[in-house]
Amino acid sequence: MKFNRHLRNKSGLHLILMVVSLITVAPYFWILSTSLKFRTEVFTQTPKWIPWPINIQNYLEMFEMAPFHLYLLNTIIVVTGILGVQLVTITLAAYVFARKNFWGKEFFFFLFLTQMMIPIHATFLPNFLTLKHFDLLNTRVAMMLPFFASGYGTFLLRQAFRQIPKALEDAAVIDGCGGLRFLWHVLIPLAKPTLIAFSIISIVSHWNDYLWPLIVTDTPEVRTLTIGLGMFVQQESGADWTLLMAATAFVTAPMLIFFLVFQKKFVESFMLSGVKG
Amino acid sequence: MKRIYRLTTYGYLLPGLFFMGIFTFIPVFMSAYLSLFKWNINNPEPSFTWFSNYIEVFKAPLFWLVLRNNLVYAFTTIPLSMSLALFLAILINQKMGWVRSLYRGSLFYPTMIPMVAAAMLWVWIFNPGLGIFNYYLGFLGFPKLEWLYDMRYALIAIIIMSIWKNFGYYMLIFLAGLQGIPNHYYEAAAIEGATGWKQFRYITFPMLAPATLFVFIVAIISSFQVFDQVFVMTQGGPGDRTNVLVFYIYQHAFRFWDLGMGSTLTTLFILGLLVAIWLVFRVIGRRVYYEV
Amino acid sequence: MRKIILLVTVFFFITGLLSTSEIWAQKEKSKPKLLRLTFYYPVGVAGPLARVIGEMTDKFNKENEGKVEVVPVYSGDYDPTMQKVQTAIMAGNPPDIFMVEISELPTLLAMGAVLSLDDYIKKTEKGYWEDFFAPFRENAVIGGKIYGVPFQRSTPVLYWNKEAFKAAGLDPEKPPKTWDELKDYATKLTVKDKQWGVTISGGWNDWLFEGFVRQNGGFLISPDGLKANFDSKEAIEALDFWVELKHRLKVGPPHSTWGSTPPDFVGGRTAMLYHSTGILTFLKRSAKFDFGVTFMPQKKTFGAAVGGANLMIAKKIPKERQEAAWKYIEWMTNVKNTAEWSVASGYVAVRNSAYDDPVMKEHVSKNPEYLVARDQLKFANGKMMAKNFQKVREILKRQLDDSAAGKIAPAEAMKIAQKEIQAVIK
Repeated sequence: MKFNRHLRNKSGLHLILMVVSLITVAPYFWILSTSLKFRTEVFTQTPKWIPWPINIQNYLEMFEMAPFHLYLLNTIIVVTGILGVQLVTITLAAYVFARKNFWGKEFFFFLFLTQMMIPIHATFLPNFLTLKHFDLLNTRVAMMLPFFASGYGTFLLRQAFRQIPKALEDAAVIDGCGGLRFLWHVLIPLAKPTLIAFSIISIVSHWNDYLWPLIVTDTPEVRTLTIGLGMFVQQESGADWTLLMAATAFVTAPMLIFFLVFQKKFVESFMLSGVKG
Repeated sequence: MKRIYRLTTYGYLLPGLFFMGIFTFIPVFMSAYLSLFKWNINNPEPSFTWFSNYIEVFKAPLFWLVLRNNLVYAFTTIPLSMSLALFLAILINQKMGWVRSLYRGSLFYPTMIPMVAAAMLWVWIFNPGLGIFNYYLGFLGFPKLEWLYDMRYALIAIIIMSIWKNFGYYMLIFLAGLQGIPNHYYEAAAIEGATGWKQFRYITFPMLAPATLFVFIVAIISSFQVFDQVFVMTQGGPGDRTNVLVFYIYQHAFRFWDLGMGSTLTTLFILGLLVAIWLVFRVIGRRVYYEV
Repeated sequence: MRKIILLVTVFFFITGLLSTSEIWAQKEKSKPKLLRLTFYYPVGVAGPLARVIGEMTDKFNKENEGKVEVVPVYSGDYDPTMQKVQTAIMAGNPPDIFMVEISELPTLLAMGAVLSLDDYIKKTEKGYWEDFFAPFRENAVIGGKIYGVPFQRSTPVLYWNKEAFKAAGLDPEKPPKTWDELKDYATKLTVKDKQWGVTISGGWNDWLFEGFVRQNGGFLISPDGLKANFDSKEAIEALDFWVELKHRLKVGPPHSTWGSTPPDFVGGRTAMLYHSTGILTFLKRSAKFDFGVTFMPQKKTFGAAVGGANLMIAKKIPKERQEAAWKYIEWMTNVKNTAEWSVASGYVAVRNSAYDDPVMKEHVSKNPEYLVARDQLKFANGKMMAKNFQKVREILKRQLDDSAAGKIAPAEAMKIAQKEIQAVIK
């Protein structure tokens, strides 16, 4: 009796999970399906999930309509540039917050925390005016600048540094390895999981940026994938769903592939982001 | 010796502070300053005007509609995504072997794709005549609504889509929190005769408090930042029924080129955000239980 | 391993910084020998038009090799293009040539951003300016001065699904010609939850609405862009007709977007559609059924507001760049290219004599539907324009949306529109 009830509960559990998973995944499958159809096959009253005949022309045509390969390159450059500088700023700041005592420490830490609460969505207008003043509009750097400092990353890393026993540093100082060297050779390697977690979150989040790049870029040379997709879609009669879905599939593919390959690491990173908070 | 020590310490902070100063803190003061000026197409040179921009903002009925839209959005997406996320996290946390990563991946992947991509997809899904949403809903007896093209339902459509996009991330946070609850708590409770709902209420929920707080704050910030999906799916319409704060600011700054009003709205937005977060911390933050 | 990551990140960071200098370098390069001009343009219709513009520009660049090179920059739809143009102007770095939606001209003038072209036009071949259709010319002229040359122009038209007509017992070759017929046919064609009788597309519904007001013998804003006329009898009656169709009789959807309605038509969701002539090519490629194109039905007269974009030159650029820009515009609007652009894009050819071009002649003999918009020009007027036009649009669309949903009476709605718009365009 007990076994049956256990089994019923388990199957109920799986049923719910399967249904929800299906509902969540189905839309993406719909993207792929639509992207492989011919234009005339799209406007049917009953949805056709399996495209037949298959049309890969859409994927070729979309590159003719807009330079998506260029957009991809720009996105990679921007995301890497942001991460590169972020790692520098957060590591340095987290180190002193975790290890040193100095006048105004609480105040400055509070500042770093507040930075997390004021997103780009709140400051885009004044930041736009600042960049306009310095003639930096329509550059890849413009898309990176507001994100170089990360209160969130500093906070996360500080937690990680604090986990490392103080005795280790004291021993290192005695051995003549202090300050930056200690940071570089000991702290950073020990905090690797957090650094990786933060990197993944930063990459995903800035890969998907939209509002800020929208405002500061004008030309295809510096355009990123999300903006390219958004523009692709705004055509006055944006009705070419096969093309749009092909473009959508292309734009979402990199992160998804990345995710599928490194799923464990991704999941760990995002899970880590909340617990220690 | 001590002085040098001190200086290098601040040196470590300098890079971060530098960028934060220019791109987070100065903008706050900039927008507050500019909000006191009339600066738009009719007034190409900024002219000082005290607080008349603020008066204009509060007098415009559209502003209150926008605020209402944003609040409705927040008060629906937040509880719905959080409870859905928590429910699924509990389910996934059960013993089940390799299928777990399959479920987890399927539910979490929407977080990986850009909001604009999801938005484009859902415009197509919500198409009244040709979209799969109406088609399958029809089997459940629902009428075929116009969704994004109906003033009554456009916001609901955006809410549905946003929940689909975000719940996976919250679910992961809850999952992490759940995995941090020591098993012996549940065993002890079972011995005492407490099962199911009681276990949830007295063990799970309190122990999840830090995770819940985190998700709550992220959800609040994210619901006031909502922009991408509105921009792509409805452009604020129909009839401004999906116009939200950030979009409203964007309209004033980059459509109407009213930089004075844009700054005013920006200042109000930042104030509102900070107040909201401060409130959450005061009211709820106190009650959060951290296990040492 | 760590060192590699560090090096890689530094590398990309430097690349990012370098990309800023590459923009400055371009500005320098264009000075001495080669004049490199930027051209911001919107693509208003589905189709590989960016490629067509690219190809046509390549030909121009070849002809002017070593002297002038035009770099076309696709800037999205009309709104984003206007935004980018304005941003660039405000940053002191305007594109040399640009195409924005015609109603934005007064705003650009207020910004001092647009060059008057009268001197250049005087110097071109005789009859050049007059060869452009009169309604198209209207939106290029303010205060007696010419500021743009028509290029990407259109009018709204009425599309009708011939098979749907047959199914409803209507003559598939006889589309409605008057408002009353429209109402009558739409009612017969409406099948609840399956097919709308007539869709008046949302998105640019303000543009379509202006057409209806014209059909009723009225206008919305005076030609000088200073006096609003929304509370006139003609405008209120036009809105009332809309509300009748969309709300009281429910033969058409109260709201939609500019991009959602063409698929609706192709998918059989609506039997008739008010939309730009620009989607004709898309419809022909995607529809599995026979359909027709005709003038928008009349009330007191046939009427339409023209739409689209004109080619303009930035004011604050050096004289030699202005002249090179004019060369490009003159070239793009010569008879042959006008015809070629029209055939490739589906937009109305902006010059009369383009219709004598052999390529054009062949195209319209095979596809007479493309002539409908041109023929409707007889009854068309310039599109309303005013300063702060984006705001005007928002105000008008808001009232159109609200009344179509039955939330406000037409007279009331137009009164509000009148008050708010008049305040904004002074």
